[in-house]
Amino acid sequence: MFEDDETLQMYIEESLDHLADIESDLLTIEEGGANIDIDLVNNVFRAAHSVKGGAGFMGLTTIKNLAHHLENVLGMIRNRELIPDSKKISILLKGFDELESLLNNIQTSNDIDISAHIQALENITSASAPEPAQQETIQQEEQEAGQIEALADIALQDGRKFQQVALKGIETSKAEGKNIFLVEYDLIGDFQQQSKNPMAVLNNLCKTGTLIETRIDITGAGTLSDPGMPGKIPFQILLASIIEYDMAETLFGVANQCIHIITDDMISAIAGRADEIPPPLPQPIETVEATPQPAVAVHPVPVNTPAPASEKQPDKPAIMETPVAKAQEKDGTTGGKTQSSLRVNVGLLDTLMNLAGELVLSRNQLLQGVNSSNVKATELSSQRIDMITSELQEAIMRTRMQPIANILNKFTRVVRDLSHQLGKSIELEIEGKDVELDKTILESINDPLTHLVRNSVDHGIETPMEREQMGKKGTGKIILKAFHDAGQVNIVISDDGRGLDPDKISSSAIAKGLISESRVEEMSDKQKTELIFLPGFSTAKEVTDVSGRGVGMDVVVTNIEALGGIIELDSTPGQGTDIQIKLPLTLAIIPSQITSVGNERYAVPQVNLNELLRIPASQIKEKIEKVGDADVVRLRGELLPLLNLADMLGIQRTFVDPETGEEREERRARISDRRSKVHIPGESSNLKEQAKEETKRAKSDRRYHASSAINIAVVSAGAFKYGLVVDQLHDSEEIVVKPVGRHLKKCTAYAGATIMGDGKVALILDISNLAQMAELSAVAEAGRNAAKTAEEEAAARADKVALLTFKNNEKEHFAAPLSIVERIERIKTSDIEQIGDLKVVQYRGGSLPLYELSQVANVEQLPERDQREVIVFKVKDREIGLMVTPPVDAQEVVLNVDSATLKQPAVSGSMIINNHTTLLVDIFELVKTLNPEWFDAEAQAAATMAEDGEKILLFAEDSAFFRNQVKQFMVEDGFKVIEAEDGLIAWELLKERVEEIDLVVTDLEMPNMDGFELTKRIKSDPSYSHLGVIALTSLASEAHIEKGKSVGIDEYEIKLDREKLMAVIRQHTNL
Amino acid sequence: MEKTTKETTSNDIEFSTFYVGGAICGIDILNIQEINKHFEITQVPQSAEYVKGILNLRGRIVTIIDLGKKLGLAPVAPSKDNRNIIVNSDDEHIGLLVDAISDVVITQKENIESAPSNIGNIKGKYFQGVLKTKDQLIGILDIDEVLKE
Repeated sequence: MFEDDETLQMYIEESLDHLADIESDLLTIEEGGANIDIDLVNNVFRAAHSVKGGAGFMGLTTIKNLAHHLENVLGMIRNRELIPDSKKISILLKGFDELESLLNNIQTSNDIDISAHIQALENITSASAPEPAQQETIQQEEQEAGQIEALADIALQDGRKFQQVALKGIETSKAEGKNIFLVEYDLIGDFQQQSKNPMAVLNNLCKTGTLIETRIDITGAGTLSDPGMPGKIPFQILLASIIEYDMAETLFGVANQCIHIITDDMISAIAGRADEIPPPLPQPIETVEATPQPAVAVHPVPVNTPAPASEKQPDKPAIMETPVAKAQEKDGTTGGKTQSSLRVNVGLLDTLMNLAGELVLSRNQLLQGVNSSNVKATELSSQRIDMITSELQEAIMRTRMQPIANILNKFTRVVRDLSHQLGKSIELEIEGKDVELDKTILESINDPLTHLVRNSVDHGIETPMEREQMGKKGTGKIILKAFHDAGQVNIVISDDGRGLDPDKISSSAIAKGLISESRVEEMSDKQKTELIFLPGFSTAKEVTDVSGRGVGMDVVVTNIEALGGIIELDSTPGQGTDIQIKLPLTLAIIPSQITSVGNERYAVPQVNLNELLRIPASQIKEKIEKVGDADVVRLRGELLPLLNLADMLGIQRTFVDPETGEEREERRARISDRRSKVHIPGESSNLKEQAKEETKRAKSDRRYHASSAINIAVVSAGAFKYGLVVDQLHDSEEIVVKPVGRHLKKCTAYAGATIMGDGKVALILDISNLAQMAELSAVAEAGRNAAKTAEEEAAARADKVALLTFKNNEKEHFAAPLSIVERIERIKTSDIEQIGDLKVVQYRGGSLPLYELSQVANVEQLPERDQREVIVFKVKDREIGLMVTPPVDAQEVVLNVDSATLKQPAVSGSMIINNHTTLLVDIFELVKTLNPEWFDAEAQAAATMAEDGEKILLFAEDSAFFRNQVKQFMVEDGFKVIEAEDGLIAWELLKERVEEIDLVVTDLEMPNMDGFELTKRIKSDPSYSHLGVIALTSLASEAHIEKGKSVGIDEYEIKLDREKLMAVIRQHTNL
Repeated sequence: MEKTTKETTSNDIEFSTFYVGGAICGIDILNIQEINKHFEITQVPQSAEYVKGILNLRGRIVTIIDLGKKLGLAPVAPSKDNRNIIVNSDDEHIGLLVDAISDVVITQKENIESAPSNIGNIKGKYFQGVLKTKDQLIGILDIDEVLKE
């Protein structure tokens, strides 16, 4: 038997809690018939499952066995394989009754024979030949009746018998060390003649002991045929008490011969044979003959069964009667269940009682003090009340807070036993045992945690053999960790087992019809993994009694969400699973930010609060923008929609005039408007005052007054993030959440109410509902659309360029145009040879010179590594290698280059790529700096050109970056450049200066007039058609080239491929 | 108003009567938890028009309903005679704001007549019945009906 009494006690209490509502649920299920209420069945199913789970590791085999069979039947009902008719329900009910009685007699539970129940339940599940099974059932029921109500006869010394006493009561009393007395009063002599009240006597006896049985012995009264009136009517009381025999006479007030001490040998248990069993709760009146009747005949036919009349068969089990009666006592409540009982240490309750008593005393003193106007007495008692209140509060909180160790500790045993059973070797590590949690939360997470730990053991950790094959340690490890974080309690269950396979889970979910294939396709791996939270999902191939019936995970989620907690699952196949549960410390108290609008205060739960923002009046105009109809504020580059709480709730907006201190109606229609004092007719301010105000205002501009600033609480709820504009921001406080009445349930803007320090009530805002009320999605959408449109416009104007991104040092991000990259190589550091100042590597029979950025630009040196990534560029027909740090990645980006801020040698500018400031490497400049002699030819050409008369290029390009870059190439090579920002300007310039221009170089994508149009005009006008047109593109596609040719473009060149471009230009200018 | 010092018998019903919107109404005294004059009421924007606000009643949040508006009469005009009648309905305390409180009337069940379809512009469904006294007609309110959302 299980050695830890406390754990066992907890299990019993919990299991009884689970079973408490089952009867009414089962009866409701019965009423529903074929119309199965799955939720209700699930409730009962889970109860059975929980009882089973606990019994499994406590070694309570009988209970586990019974619960398992009950669960099987319920599982079939849940899957609609069975229709719950009254016969099946009654067998289930009896099963649960037996389960309850087993739980109540836990120490002997393993010795009790429950084969009859098991047989009956198995008959249901096998569902074969139901008719014969029925016959069997009846007999079993009869047998059980005997077992449940074990009876005993007591033989008195004078030969009389006190028959059919519930054995249980006697045994319990004996176990408690009590003596058992049979006291005989005479109703006539002792009561009537002494005018005593039998009830008073009974009550008196109850104070000294426990009543087991009372009856009036009619047989002892004699019969009418006896001579004379009967002299006495014996009233027998069977009493268990700790008092000794010699005390009994004085105490009971009867003669010694009327008090019998019952010893063990006087009690004889009745054997449990069906035909000998007397009816339960025997009444002496019915058993005058003392010969027991056959049981079937005496069983009362149940009257109150909810079954239809046709079901009222004579074999209706008698045991049905009890559940029906109980269900009615419970006021017929079906379904709805919130267990709201709390077990409190009696000592603590005594403390509370004491404190309450003190409080009453102090109140009396206070009242006296107040009535007699005694200031000193009043002060004293108010101090006392102050102290008592604090103590009371503390004591009450103490009743609720419990260390989490209470539930975590039992998992040592769970894991040990389970791993034995499954042939696994698992080590459990528990951290943070002294983290305290509200008792209600603690109790409610017990089941989910048990499920999760069992799942980890059963499904997570592999067998030692599997583990060793995978190269893991043979012993698996499960870590249970509890800790506080950000006002929440976190519980993490992590194992190093096989993890969850997202694809297996999703295909299993599809196979079970829980989700459609098309939806799964859109899911990420994480979402797929989370499919195991769906009801009815189970990855276990076989049903075991450890876990896996598809109850586990959905119970876990429902329970945790009901507590206001969240559950997160993080799994790496082959590595293990982390499950994190975040729970509030207590359900009743939440930290909140207090804000106010008008005269009322509103609490914003801290969970939803991101930050507080105050926009000074002077900056309102710049910071707050309008997108469509909505106000938005730009916060660190993000557009944040603003909601004005006053508008949302329809509160008359007011503001306090900073000069007069009076309250005025707010007239700003929009946040971004400024307040101005317009004289409104009806506003009672006389002219004089107004004049005075005006002069005042002239002195200090009210727009800069602090009170005109806008206060914003930046909040988020789920996908929504927005700024809530309030009049004032106050302190952060811990508030006690109180529910609001039913008339306010429709006001979804509030999550509840709370009472502030001054006794007034403040409403708690429901941030996510507020967002929905404001149709914020629409607002946000508008904002995003506006941003998107702007982005698209920008994209249309700017060119997309393929860049190769890489890193120099870990933190320095660089990019170079992909078009000039030959290839990327990986070489070993040891292969690098140092020749003079130059580093080279042998490569395809030649030497590749290697450089790094720090040789030219002001950047960090490359970190030491065993191997180097080398980007090979081709410049002037020679290859050079640039050593970089991975990752090396190619991507297409919209060039939006800042060519000023971070400009330095070999770096043409900077831009943001993937949230990193990335420097653009100018390879040409790099090479030129390192090897100026390679460019002698160009220098010469430039010199020649200067002598021969300059060649002039018309260069149309809308991007300032490219314009500057390319122009620089051209100028360095000795050309003169006329710049145009778009095709139209280029066209105008061309018309003016056609005589000077030798060649047109144009971008293709440009606003106003694109390169195609420009070329078309040039080529179709005889005065210009002699000019060559070179098109520059960032991404040359076949279609583009085709289109370009048709309009007469002579050459296509890639931007930033300096060498080729210049070669082509030179060729076209006949150099 | 009928004043009586008779001892109440089991057949007697006591009604607390009050004025609201010019009418006189009564509530079975057993429904009433207390009558107070706390007016530290917090307004609840967006709530139904007849909800005056919420109140802290010794740690309990109580919804205060303007009974005048709820019954379709004139709203309760602020005055020093205003009272909140705190009633218990469906396990919830709800306050009814009335113009003024009047006496407690003791009567017998049989004196209560069934309600006409309307009494002084108040819908008949809000009444359990009417009680005629010497000079007045008191409408006996059906609290559960009045407080249905």
